[in-house]
Amino acid sequence: MVVPERTDALRTLHPLAWWCWAIGIGLAVNGTTNPLLLILVALSMVTVVMLRRSDSPWARSVRAYLVLAAFVIGMRLFFQLLLGGGRGETVLFTLPSVPLPAWAAGIQLGGVVTAEAIAYTVYDALRLAVMLLCIGAANALASPRQALRSVPAALYEASVAVVVALSVAPQLIESGQRIHRARRLRGDSSRGLRSLGRIALAVLADAIDRSMSLAAGMEARGFARTRGLHVRGALPLMLASVLSATTGGYLMLATDYRWLAAALMVAGVAGTGLGLRRAGARLAVTSYRPHPWQWRETLVAGCGVVAMLVVLGIGGLDPDQLGPALAAVLDPLAFFPSTNPLAWPQLNGWMLAVVALVLAPIPLTRTGLQRIPDAARTDVAVRSPRPRGRLAEAVR
Amino acid sequence: MTRLSWSLIVALAVGAVAFSWPLFLRPASGMPPQLAPTVFAVALVLVLAAVLAELSSGRMDVKTLAMLGVLAAVGTVLRPLSAGTAGLELIFFVIILAGRAFGPSFGFALGATTLLTSALITSGVGPWLPYQMLCAGFVGLFAGLLPRASGRAEIVLLAGYGVVSAFAYGWLMDFSFWPFAIGDGTQLSFDPAAPPLENLHRFALFNLATSMGWNLGRAVSNAVLIALFGPRLLAMFRRSARTARLGSTDARAIAAPAPE
Amino acid sequence: MITFEHVSITYPDARRPVLDDVSFEIAEGDLCLVIGATGSGKSTLLGAINGLVPHFTGGTLSGRVVVDGRDTARFRPRELADVVGYVGQDPLRGFVTDVVEDEIAYGMEQLGIAPAAMRKRVEETLDLMGIADLRSRPLVELSGGQQQRVAIAAVLAARPEVLVLDEPTSALDPTAAQDVLSAITTLVHEVALTVVLAEHRLERVMHAADTIAWITPAGTVDLGLPADVLARSTITPPLAALARELGWDRVPLSVREARRRVLADDIRPPVVAEPAPVHGEPVLVASGIDVRYGDLVAVRSVDLELRAGEVTTLLGRNGCGKSSLLWALQGALTHAGEVRVDGRDPAGLPAAQARRLVTLVPQTAADLLYAPSVGEECELADRESAAAPGTTAGLLRRLGVDVEPSRDPRDLSEGQRLALVLAIQLSAEPPVLLLDEPTRGLDYSAKADLTAIVRELAAAGMAVLISTHDVEFAAGVGRRTLLMADGELIAEGTTLDLLASSVAYAPQLAKVFAPSPVLTAADLAGVSR
Repeated sequence: MVVPERTDALRTLHPLAWWCWAIGIGLAVNGTTNPLLLILVALSMVTVVMLRRSDSPWARSVRAYLVLAAFVIGMRLFFQLLLGGGRGETVLFTLPSVPLPAWAAGIQLGGVVTAEAIAYTVYDALRLAVMLLCIGAANALASPRQALRSVPAALYEASVAVVVALSVAPQLIESGQRIHRARRLRGDSSRGLRSLGRIALAVLADAIDRSMSLAAGMEARGFARTRGLHVRGALPLMLASVLSATTGGYLMLATDYRWLAAALMVAGVAGTGLGLRRAGARLAVTSYRPHPWQWRETLVAGCGVVAMLVVLGIGGLDPDQLGPALAAVLDPLAFFPSTNPLAWPQLNGWMLAVVALVLAPIPLTRTGLQRIPDAARTDVAVRSPRPRGRLAEAVR
Repeated sequence: MTRLSWSLIVALAVGAVAFSWPLFLRPASGMPPQLAPTVFAVALVLVLAAVLAELSSGRMDVKTLAMLGVLAAVGTVLRPLSAGTAGLELIFFVIILAGRAFGPSFGFALGATTLLTSALITSGVGPWLPYQMLCAGFVGLFAGLLPRASGRAEIVLLAGYGVVSAFAYGWLMDFSFWPFAIGDGTQLSFDPAAPPLENLHRFALFNLATSMGWNLGRAVSNAVLIALFGPRLLAMFRRSARTARLGSTDARAIAAPAPE
Repeated sequence: MITFEHVSITYPDARRPVLDDVSFEIAEGDLCLVIGATGSGKSTLLGAINGLVPHFTGGTLSGRVVVDGRDTARFRPRELADVVGYVGQDPLRGFVTDVVEDEIAYGMEQLGIAPAAMRKRVEETLDLMGIADLRSRPLVELSGGQQQRVAIAAVLAARPEVLVLDEPTSALDPTAAQDVLSAITTLVHEVALTVVLAEHRLERVMHAADTIAWITPAGTVDLGLPADVLARSTITPPLAALARELGWDRVPLSVREARRRVLADDIRPPVVAEPAPVHGEPVLVASGIDVRYGDLVAVRSVDLELRAGEVTTLLGRNGCGKSSLLWALQGALTHAGEVRVDGRDPAGLPAAQARRLVTLVPQTAADLLYAPSVGEECELADRESAAAPGTTAGLLRRLGVDVEPSRDPRDLSEGQRLALVLAIQLSAEPPVLLLDEPTRGLDYSAKADLTAIVRELAAAGMAVLISTHDVEFAAGVGRRTLLMADGELIAEGTTLDLLASSVAYAPQLAKVFAPSPVLTAADLAGVSR
């Protein structure tokens, strides 16, 4: 059976592939504090987003994440200056110091500021900022609507609720704007919480009515017709898996039984997957033009995984246990440049390979930008005497 | 019903562990603090998947589902409206009142879906999302479990709950992402080597200094909104629950044809 | 295909059944038109066909409804989804997804149809309804007519035998309504679907109907051939009014039929006297009104005058700028140009003062209502208008609506709700009243009531401007008409001149009697039989 591709699937990658790539890079970033590598990864990430994002509203989010990343660095620096204890010897300047009383944990505000402490904080904050940027890139590149189409059948109802919410939200905004405008016609010029509340109440009343017509429409079109097939054992399996994963997480954080912890977590994920599959059997809905997973998806996802393996694999090695020749080739310490004493960070070939993996989706995918011809836009019904706000646009 | 509460109890337990991970993290594990929330985020995704699959499996009729979707849309629309104003949070009063009117499992589902939809629209998907979903779910869940009351007493009860839940939400979210926010090496930083109480003390100070305003704003806006609009909204929800027979199973919603 | 056997439907808390011991049968392949006054149970009858009543709405159904051999007592609506396609009143409210293609596939996904078959059916359905070019468009961006066609396509994809449509054209302008109706008649003639259709504006569809089911005020159903049922029913579309005025026993179903009979009987309409022009002072003078939304020019340099005591109608297709012009005149919409009422420009005044000069009843009148009961709504309006307590409630009674003050405004009928909003707006005693599409969802008697109210207000010295695309209503309500297209006023004149000579906007009787200028059945009073 040939399932034809969705028209837009030809242009965009499966959202899970983008997420896999971005999470892989994020984990790789987590395994290094080398600022040069971090900055290169960040630049490459932004380049990929700029070249491969679609023109949909969520694609603009990367800017917000850049701001957030800058904010994280700024905040870390601020706390370091305010609260950071001395570290290192290269004193840059000294702030007036204010000791707080004992109940406040005997904290001392201000004091000596060293280059080592600043470098340490900036390296660490940069790592966090680039991780955030990876999440932002995934948000910008992966289409949430297409992701919702790939939800396991057991979560079908929940995904329907989200789909409904996504479709109804712009309509509610329009209804809110109409009601807001109509207030003037009644001479109501109240402002603030009361007027906001009036509008919110009217929108809510409208929403409740709307949910009834929607439910009638869904029912009349056969929603839940194939539901309620008998399924056994899904819930116990999922609960056991959840407990296994939690125990795994706990062990991973509190002890050094890393392998046991990892095994428990993997078992939890796999068990939940099985449970969901099993629970999904109660539903026989089909999916229209599902997003295909093709070699491009595998390659892009693979880039993320390989980048993670390279950084975590090499960075986790102990140079003393390697032979001098091997240590020179792999150079694990370069991933963690010393801040005390301060040393200039170095780039090596492995890092350039990681950067190449970050950039790899550019040749592997096609551009997601699609220009909608103007002709297709002119037929828009002027339903309201004022165009919808930016939010309405963003929601769509 | 027992199956339902079992899955929610497990969710509760796992959530409690996940949110308080900074108390467990030991240096011996070699786990960097910035990765720790992600570890539990994975566990929370599993919890959410299990609970939502269980909540929706045949228990949710089409009217409940439509109501869930539409109210999640309301929350999604209200959330960005409040983002500009410090501390003003417009989503929780809807979740609390709906949880109260339609019951704990609806409340949980509404909290979780609202945050998810909102994140999808505002591109806010990240390791924090499972925490937010679970936390907002609990806000709706416990609203549905509050003791009986009616009239003014009910509004006072719900407004009080609004204040408590606002702080609980803020503290839980801040606590689980505190090591993330401030980094290590400062005197208010999370220190894996320090005993849990010491860490709690540090967190309390950090939170007081940085997030008190937001939590307070959220609490005040919850209470004020519930006091102002609670009676009207509850009446609206209950009216629709009556006319729509919301939350009932499919079998009960059928009106039996009267005998001739 | 559809059989009702002794069906009675009673809603909870209702004193008497909506439908009372109804028995009828709709044959396969028929287009059956369901008519009845507002609130008479049209939607109930339609909902009973696929079991939404009572499975979904609650209430009690006695008797049997059988569709294609399936008894709705045993089959829930979702189990009838492949037999009955049901499209509700506002299609946008029933959409589950947000893109045309996905919406069409949605029903088939629920039925578990294999992806390959689904793909083929989506393409076929897109072509059948002529919406292939809309396939990847967001649903909210579509015009009303397009949305309606997508909604029909979405239920057709499941290949039902019966299509049930609840007022598919009530919110559409004549052109869009024609599009939708011709699509429906194609389905009847080419695909041999059985169609059950509720409609207020019979003049649009009655020529295509095979049968008409009239829900009588007593709750029974009178089903028969259109010409017969229309002769009996209290629902009078223009041609039925004509038949009644001329004493014909058979109602002509189309303009052509009526015209043939008029020619055959050699009926000469009396010369309609032009109503005397109103010589009142202009109350509202607007000059150079421009409204822009970004690049889009919605209204372009419009000049206009409204006189005291005169009713003016504003005609034009959907989206031609009628609403924008009205909002601009009220001052609620940013615009260029100047409006003068009583020497002041409402745009520059605070909201409470502006509405004492010009008041507007918007298209979705319910947007103005936010109190939980009619009584509170009236009290709120008294305070807003600084009127004596009880003013609004009194106005509401004068408009012919007498409801319990404790009723929720959302539960009122369309006509009652419009009257409530009108009463609220009139409580400010403005010299100028603007009505935007007031006839949406109103039946013939409600429209007649509205005409009487508007005339009475004008007689009391108010200047009234009504934007509408309901030409039959426009023909009866006012003396002066403005035509608008693409943001500009393109014609202005007496209603008689403009409508009788127009191709697109001529009311049915004008077409019957052309070239004699006749607009409504009232113009025929005293004609020789």
